[in-house]
Amino acid sequence: MTVVGNLRLNGVEDLERMREELLACRSPSSKCVRVCMGPGCAAKGAARLYEVFCEAAEQAGGEVEIQAKSVGCHGLCECGPIVIIEPGEIFYQRVEEPDVPEIFRETVLGGRVVERLLYENPDTGEKALTAEEIPFYKVQKRIALAHNGVIDPASIEDYVAEGGYTALAKVLTSMAPEEVLGEVERAGLRGRGGGGFATARKWRSCRQAKGSPKYVICNGDEGDPGAFMDRAIMEGDPHAIIEGMIIGAYAIGSRQGYIYVRNEYPLSVERLRGAIEQARELGLLGRHILGSSLSFDIRINRGGGAFVCGESTALMASLEGRPGEPRAKYIHTVESGLNGKPTNLNNVETWANVPAIINRGGEWFASIGTEKSKGTKVFCLVGKVKYTGLVEVPMGITLRRIVEEIGGGVRDDKRFKAIQTGGPSGGCIPSQYLDTLVDFDELTKLGSMMGSGGMIVMDEDTCMVHVAKYFTNFLQKESCGKCTPCREGLAQMLHILQRITKGEGEEGDVEVLEGLAELLEGTALCALGKTAANPVISTIRYFRDEYDAHIQERRCPAKECRGLFRYEIDPEACKACGICLKNCPSDAITGQKKVPHVINQEKCTLCGACWEKCPFTAVLKV
Amino acid sequence: MPTVTIDGRKVRVKKDATVLDAARKAGIWVPTLCYHPAVVGDASCRLCMVELDRGEWKQMITACNYPVRRDIVVYVSSEAARKARQGVMELLLARAPDSEELKELAERMGVKGTRYPKVTESQRNCILCGLCVRVCEDMIGKSAIGFAGRGVDRTVAAPFRQPSEDCIGCGACAVVCPVGTIKVRLHEDEQQVEISPFKSRVKLVACERCGAPVVSELVVAEALERVELDSEQLRERMRLCPKCRKSKTVAGLADVAGRNRK
Repeated sequence: MTVVGNLRLNGVEDLERMREELLACRSPSSKCVRVCMGPGCAAKGAARLYEVFCEAAEQAGGEVEIQAKSVGCHGLCECGPIVIIEPGEIFYQRVEEPDVPEIFRETVLGGRVVERLLYENPDTGEKALTAEEIPFYKVQKRIALAHNGVIDPASIEDYVAEGGYTALAKVLTSMAPEEVLGEVERAGLRGRGGGGFATARKWRSCRQAKGSPKYVICNGDEGDPGAFMDRAIMEGDPHAIIEGMIIGAYAIGSRQGYIYVRNEYPLSVERLRGAIEQARELGLLGRHILGSSLSFDIRINRGGGAFVCGESTALMASLEGRPGEPRAKYIHTVESGLNGKPTNLNNVETWANVPAIINRGGEWFASIGTEKSKGTKVFCLVGKVKYTGLVEVPMGITLRRIVEEIGGGVRDDKRFKAIQTGGPSGGCIPSQYLDTLVDFDELTKLGSMMGSGGMIVMDEDTCMVHVAKYFTNFLQKESCGKCTPCREGLAQMLHILQRITKGEGEEGDVEVLEGLAELLEGTALCALGKTAANPVISTIRYFRDEYDAHIQERRCPAKECRGLFRYEIDPEACKACGICLKNCPSDAITGQKKVPHVINQEKCTLCGACWEKCPFTAVLKV
Repeated sequence: MPTVTIDGRKVRVKKDATVLDAARKAGIWVPTLCYHPAVVGDASCRLCMVELDRGEWKQMITACNYPVRRDIVVYVSSEAARKARQGVMELLLARAPDSEELKELAERMGVKGTRYPKVTESQRNCILCGLCVRVCEDMIGKSAIGFAGRGVDRTVAAPFRQPSEDCIGCGACAVVCPVGTIKVRLHEDEQQVEISPFKSRVKLVACERCGAPVVSELVVAEALERVELDSEQLRERMRLCPKCRKSKTVAGLADVAGRNRK
């Protein structure tokens, strides 16, 4: 749908005219197939699906206008690939290539619903026709993800048609920089990257800082394991980030922006590059934006894969072409950041919230959420829940509602054990605190944090000492090694955790871990090191009994730590089928037909093959 | 000039001086390892932790690079500050248990050994303070060495762990190394100087009078370039060993004195 061509918009009126023309082109009878191209759906073959829909649309051609559109992440990754049909917003899930002709014939052309591809509520058996009817979406509220799954992220026309760049137009025509700051302040927006610092305060400090030029940076170096919030926005709605940055630049007084994206996100880089190019062509970036006195441009820099480069000072060092290592922040980056100049850095999600705040007002934004945490937050809900995916919820919702209503509860009827929030340096929150509100300060009080939005659900089979070891290992590997406590302290902590999970723990280990954690928090150079002990501390705080069982009884209560439990065959349940015997690589199982099998503990290497293969769950972990 | 109150003692320092400057002025010892007055503070060893009083709460800061911009109150000998420094020292001792220099400093700090086992490999007791890297970059302007690897695998190395082509063999890195990891080795038979452990070798200037090794050829070249003084005398003297240079100077003076007497 390219109606604009290489037309430069020389004023707000031009932008409005463009939007009107785009909307006029949309015939009420036109139909659209939106294929989700989020990471989850793409992994399940959405790209091929999109091609097939395109071919079908082309062949059908003629009387009705049919368009196939590749869109950003819908969130319900568990049920991907997702395809939505307009009109009607009919939501099809787990769509495969052979389903395409039927969808096309029945729904697109015939206006009938293909029942078998609809989402079915496992509790009630009810089918859902649209996303709104699916429990996963019911309690969500989309601001940062508003356009995700709706617009074609490669098309600026789509973004403009949906009201894109109206916030920028509003700012340029009717708001002074101070008024923009005021609006963001009223919204109560806090940094979505993890720190939760008041965005308006940061912008104001940068605006007031002496020195020029001033820089604005978008941090897209998302590196938490299992997290893809920022990726979804960069790949699903790149113009929202760019519009947010231009507004920020106007408020702060900057002419140059940078987006730092990790190079492991090639599609994010491509989408952002394309979006910047389109915005430049239309005169939304570059000199005299929309004919105003504002000049601002954005450059993309790719990160080389170091987790620590998500830390603001390390990111700036990397931008300068130096090794990505943090430095002391005694002088804030708003005063002396990139190249020693005043620099304002915000995360992808923070920037993406800005246009909505300007359009709908700070008061509207502040009406959502809790007293000190306003608006919404995007999370990646992963782990042992029924429905994993990308969710955006109003601040102040309880963790329980996210796990139970959105996530559909714990998978396989297991018991909930803990939810880990805030990425690798977050903490594990146990079931007794499930009614805690999603709020920067409430999560911190529990020894965890909001972080950038990772959310991992763990069930009764998860060993919390093992979890602590996993995250400590991750952070130890990602520590840049510049400061002593982070480099040496994490290595020492990991060493102790490795011993404990091998059944070699000693009395006093927990106390040493606590001492090291305190040392790290107090003396590490950057936020990575200062928070790196959170997984250990929070698991000691809430699951001390598991540490004690490992150390005192050489036992792993969750039966996850190899060597701290045995496999045994329940003679009552064993049907003597011989499958375990055949699969045992160390000939540790004996048995005959009609005689229950037995594991020779001396030969058993605890590989778990018998446990996995037994069709009667007769192999037990004891 | 802002006033810094350290453990109750008041000192005034220039704006943007560090807390360490203030402590030294007040005669209060703060242990340091990665600090050197010749280069900008990096605060990577974290041995100079002190407590900053922020009224309702206290913050741990590194004395070597915390800039004093207003009147502040800090504690060097508070329980928390001492514990933090001792904790960091214990970790360093675990890394480099054989370093005599480290043991000496630990003793002065009241740290008797470490509770931790050696779990990270250090190259000849290197504690990764980075002084050598910073001196080579900031003072010598060569960046012949840098950090390689990250986390516990971090080491100081020349690019690709090969002898560096940029090294001028000045030995500044060895001079600032607080634990004696870096050494300057003379290979007189080959007329070369080696900066160990980086294996960089540079040809030595032999004293034009006695043949004793003077300094690396590249250092002479660098020095002559930097002083921008085209003096035959200087060029000549740079190629003499300290002993011969001295005797030449003495002879020169005697000569002048003799002439004056006449």
